[in-house]
Amino acid sequence: MEEKTRMVLPYEDHFHLKTLDLKKVLTLALSRGGDFADIFLEYRISRSILMEEDIIKETEESITLGLGVRVIKKDRTGYAYTNDLSEEKIRIAALTAAAIASLPGASPQQIHLKQIKPGKEIAVVRSLATTSPLQKKIDLVQKAYHSALNFNQTIKKVQVAYGESTQYVWIVNSQGLSIKDTRPMVKLVAQAIAEKNGRRESGFYGGGGRVGLEFFFRKLTAEEIGREAAKEASLLLEAAEPPAGEYPVILAPGHSGVLVHEAVGHLLEADFIRKKTSIFWNKLGKKIGSEQITIYDDPTIPGFRGSYRVDDEGTQPTRTLLIEKGRVKGFLQDRLSARLMKKSLNGHGRRQDFTNWPVPRMSNTYIDRGEYSPEEIIRSVSQGFYVSRLSGGQVEDSGKFTFSVTLGFMIEDGQLTRPVKQATLIGTNLDILQKVEMLGSDLEFGLQTGTCSKEGQDVPVSDGCPTMKISRMTIGGLR
Amino acid sequence: MNPDKNSNNLRQLAERLVQYGKKQGADEIEVTLYDGLEFNVDVRLGKIENLVEAGSKFFAIRVFKDKRAASASSSDLSISTLQLLIRNAIKRALLTHSDEYAGLPVPALFKVDEASLKLYDPAVSRMKPQEKIKLALTTEKISLQDKRINNSFGASFISHELRTVLSNSNGFTGEYLQTYCSLHLGLQAGQDDNLVEDYWFSSKRYLKDLAPPEEVARKAVERTVRQLNPRKIKTQNVPVIFEPTMTSWLLTFLFSCVSGMAVYQKTTFLADRLGEKIGNDLISVINDGLLPAKPGSRPFDSEGVPSQRTVVIEKGVLKNYLCNTYAARKLNLVSTGNGDGNAVIPNNFYLEAGTATPEEIIKSTRKGLLLTRTIGHGLNPVTGDISRGAFGLWIEDGEIAYPVCEITIAGNLGEILKKVEMVGNDLEFESSICGPTIKVAEMTVAGI
Repeated sequence: MEEKTRMVLPYEDHFHLKTLDLKKVLTLALSRGGDFADIFLEYRISRSILMEEDIIKETEESITLGLGVRVIKKDRTGYAYTNDLSEEKIRIAALTAAAIASLPGASPQQIHLKQIKPGKEIAVVRSLATTSPLQKKIDLVQKAYHSALNFNQTIKKVQVAYGESTQYVWIVNSQGLSIKDTRPMVKLVAQAIAEKNGRRESGFYGGGGRVGLEFFFRKLTAEEIGREAAKEASLLLEAAEPPAGEYPVILAPGHSGVLVHEAVGHLLEADFIRKKTSIFWNKLGKKIGSEQITIYDDPTIPGFRGSYRVDDEGTQPTRTLLIEKGRVKGFLQDRLSARLMKKSLNGHGRRQDFTNWPVPRMSNTYIDRGEYSPEEIIRSVSQGFYVSRLSGGQVEDSGKFTFSVTLGFMIEDGQLTRPVKQATLIGTNLDILQKVEMLGSDLEFGLQTGTCSKEGQDVPVSDGCPTMKISRMTIGGLR
Repeated sequence: MNPDKNSNNLRQLAERLVQYGKKQGADEIEVTLYDGLEFNVDVRLGKIENLVEAGSKFFAIRVFKDKRAASASSSDLSISTLQLLIRNAIKRALLTHSDEYAGLPVPALFKVDEASLKLYDPAVSRMKPQEKIKLALTTEKISLQDKRINNSFGASFISHELRTVLSNSNGFTGEYLQTYCSLHLGLQAGQDDNLVEDYWFSSKRYLKDLAPPEEVARKAVERTVRQLNPRKIKTQNVPVIFEPTMTSWLLTFLFSCVSGMAVYQKTTFLADRLGEKIGNDLISVINDGLLPAKPGSRPFDSEGVPSQRTVVIEKGVLKNYLCNTYAARKLNLVSTGNGDGNAVIPNNFYLEAGTATPEEIIKSTRKGLLLTRTIGHGLNPVTGDISRGAFGLWIEDGEIAYPVCEITIAGNLGEILKKVEMVGNDLEFESSICGPTIKVAEMTVAGI
C-alpha cells in the first residue's frame, strides 16, 4: 500500500520541514524571554478492525499530523499547537506559546541543533503491523472470534477488536537537542458474553505491545485470546455475589499490578509532589510501607506497551527505583518538575499527542518479587478473599483508592473455593502498603492492553506484581 | 487564530470530497470537517501555570461500497492525504463483510432551525485572554481566603469555539457553530496524611449563564471541607440520597443501557424490554436535542439526522431506545438523532425534576447516606450491577451528622429505578447528562 513508500522517506518528509526552520521557530518561541522552548512533531498512522455478529463490520484508518510548541518561564507553561504545518501557522503557534513570558523584546538566542540518536531499541518487531496486508490482520481477528464463540455452549456473543499504530516523533528544544523516534504498537482484544438461565456475564482478554504482527503467532495467539475471554465469561456464570466487609486479601500476580499503578505510582509523579498535593510529597527517604515492598517503573522493557526509548520531551529513560524496602526512593520526573525540584531527569515526560504538553507519567510499573511461593501464601489464610482479576481502579492524591474486581474466589482453610464476581476493594494506600504481609516469588505482568488516563491524556502503560497478601482490606459487595 | 468566519471554504471542501468519493466508486460517502479554537488557562496559588491557545481542523469520513463500511479520519488536511484516505477506505471496504444494515440515513423530511438552538455566543469568542485569566485567578483567590483550605489543585477557565460541517452523498449538507465556556476549581483540605479533596465547576454555552467566581469558589470550598474528619461505618442497608452530580453519574450508566447499540448487541439488561415498567412512577427520562442554549443541543447528529425530543422512560415505563441509523435499522426502529460516528451519544439526557427540595429529602431520612462522590469503575450494563467506592455524608434524624469514607455502594440499576422514593426540584443543565437530587429507598453501603 501507499504506506510503504512513506516508510522509506526521510523523517522530515512526514512533516515537510527542515531542521533550519525549527531553529527559527525555537528562536521565535523564546523571543518574549522564555527560559526553555521545545517543539514536538508527530505523524501517526493508526488502523483498527472490528468484528461482531459474525462479520467484519468495519475498518478504520486514521492519520494524526501536527506539532506543539511549548515555552517554559519559571514554573509557567505556554502551549500552542497546530495541525497546519505551514510556516505562517507554525510562527503563530510559536508566538502564542511565547506570550507566557512577558518580556517585550528579549535578545534572540543562538540555537545549534545537534541530532541525538535514541538509545537501545525497545520495540520487538519482525513484521511491522502498519505495513502488513490488511487481510492478514482480518484473519487474526476472525481466529480470535471463532475461538471464543466455539469455547462452549454458553458463549452467545463475541466482539474482537484489533488496533495498530506507528507513531513518528521528532523533538527539538532550545538546549540544542534534536531526536527522532519510530514507535510501533499493536493490540488484539476479545470480549465474550456468556448466557445461562437468563443470567449474562462478560469476559475479556487481550494482548500486544510494541511488537510486530508475529507476536500473535508466537507469543500469544489469537486463538488463546479468544479462548481466555470466553473462559472468563463462562466461569463468571457460576460466580456468587461478593461478600462485604473486611477480610485478608490475596492478589493474583500480574493483573493486580494495577493496584501498584493506581495506589502508589500516581502519587509518585513529580508534579503532584512539587505541588504538595500528593501525600508522599514530604516522604522521600521515609518508610511508608512494609519492608518487603520494592517498586520500579521501567520504560525500557523490550516489547512492552508502556515502553519507549525516548520520552515525549526527548529524554532517554532509565529504570527508576520508586520504593525500596518500604522507603520512598524516587519520583517520576518530567523536565519541568525535575528542574523546579533540582532533580535529575529519568525520562517520564509523556503526552497523548501533539495537542498536549508532557506531564510526568508511568510506563511499566511493578512490585519486585518476594520470597514466598504462591501456594504458601494461599495456605496462610483460613478465611479471606482471592482477587483473580482486577479490571481497573482510581486513586486520589490523598491516597484514597478503589478497585474493581471482575473475578475473585473465596479462600477457606487455605484453599480457593467458590468464584465471586464484581466486587470492589477500597482503602487508602498508606494503610494497605503497611499491611502487605507476604510477596510471592512469581512476578508477572498483566495484559498488555492497558491505558492510563491523567488530566485528560491517555497513554499506553503496563503493570505487574507477584502474588501479594494484604492482612486486611475492605470489600464492597451486595451483602 | 479564529475559525474561518467565512465557512464557505470548509463547506465547499466537504462537498468536493463527497463528489471525489462518488467518482472513485463509493456507493455512499459522508464527510465531516471540524474547525475548532481552544483556549485553556490553569492558574494555581495565584499564578498562571499553563496557558494554551490553538486552532485546529479535523476530517472524518465514512464510505459504503456494496453495503460494506469503512471509515477514516485525519488531522492532515492536505488534499492529497484526504483523497488518499478516501481511496484507501473504498479499497478497505471491499475486505469487510456485507452488512444489510450499513449505510447512510435516508434524507430527513424536516430540518431544525439552527438559530433557535442558541448554540453560539459571540461574547465567548470576543472575550480577551486577560479576562479569562482573571476569572480563574479570582475564583481561586476567593476559595483560598477560607483557612480550612490548605492547598489548591488550581482553577481553570476553558473556552471552545467549534464549527461542524457535514456533507453526504444523499444530498445533505449542513453546518453549525457552537461555543462552550467553563470555570473549574479543585481544592484540598486537611492535615498530614488525612487529606480530602473535591472540586466544583460551571460549564455553559453562554458567558452570561456561567456561574460567577464567588459561587464556584463557595461550592468548591463547601464540598471539600464537609469531608474533613470522616468516620468509617459498619456495613448496612440504608436509604441513599444522590446529589445532582451523583444522579447524573447514575444517568450516565442508564444512558449506556438504553443506547440502541447496547440493545441490539444485547449487552444491556434493558434489551427487549420496550413497553415494560422498569421503574416507578417518579421516573421520567427524556433525551432532548432541541433545548435552547443547553449543552447537548445541536441541529443534527453526526449522520445529518435532525435532533428531536425523545421520551426514554415515562412514569417508569421504558418507551424508547436512543439510536443512530445503524442501531435503528437493527432494531427495526427509527434513528432518534443520537448518532456519533459509529456510537450513540446523549443530547440533553435528563431525569425530569420532582417537587421536593433537597433539604426536604434529607429531612425525610432517619438514617442514611448522602452520596457525594464515587470513584473507581464497577458498572456492568449486562447485569445493571453497580459497585463503586464512595464518599458521602451520614444522615441521622433528618440531619447531616458526619462524613464517611472507605465505603462502597452496591446495588443494581434495575432495582434502583424501582426504589426511587423522592425526586428533587433542583435540576440544572451543567452537562449533557443531568438529574436532580433523588432518594433511593435502600442500597447496600459497605464499610468495615
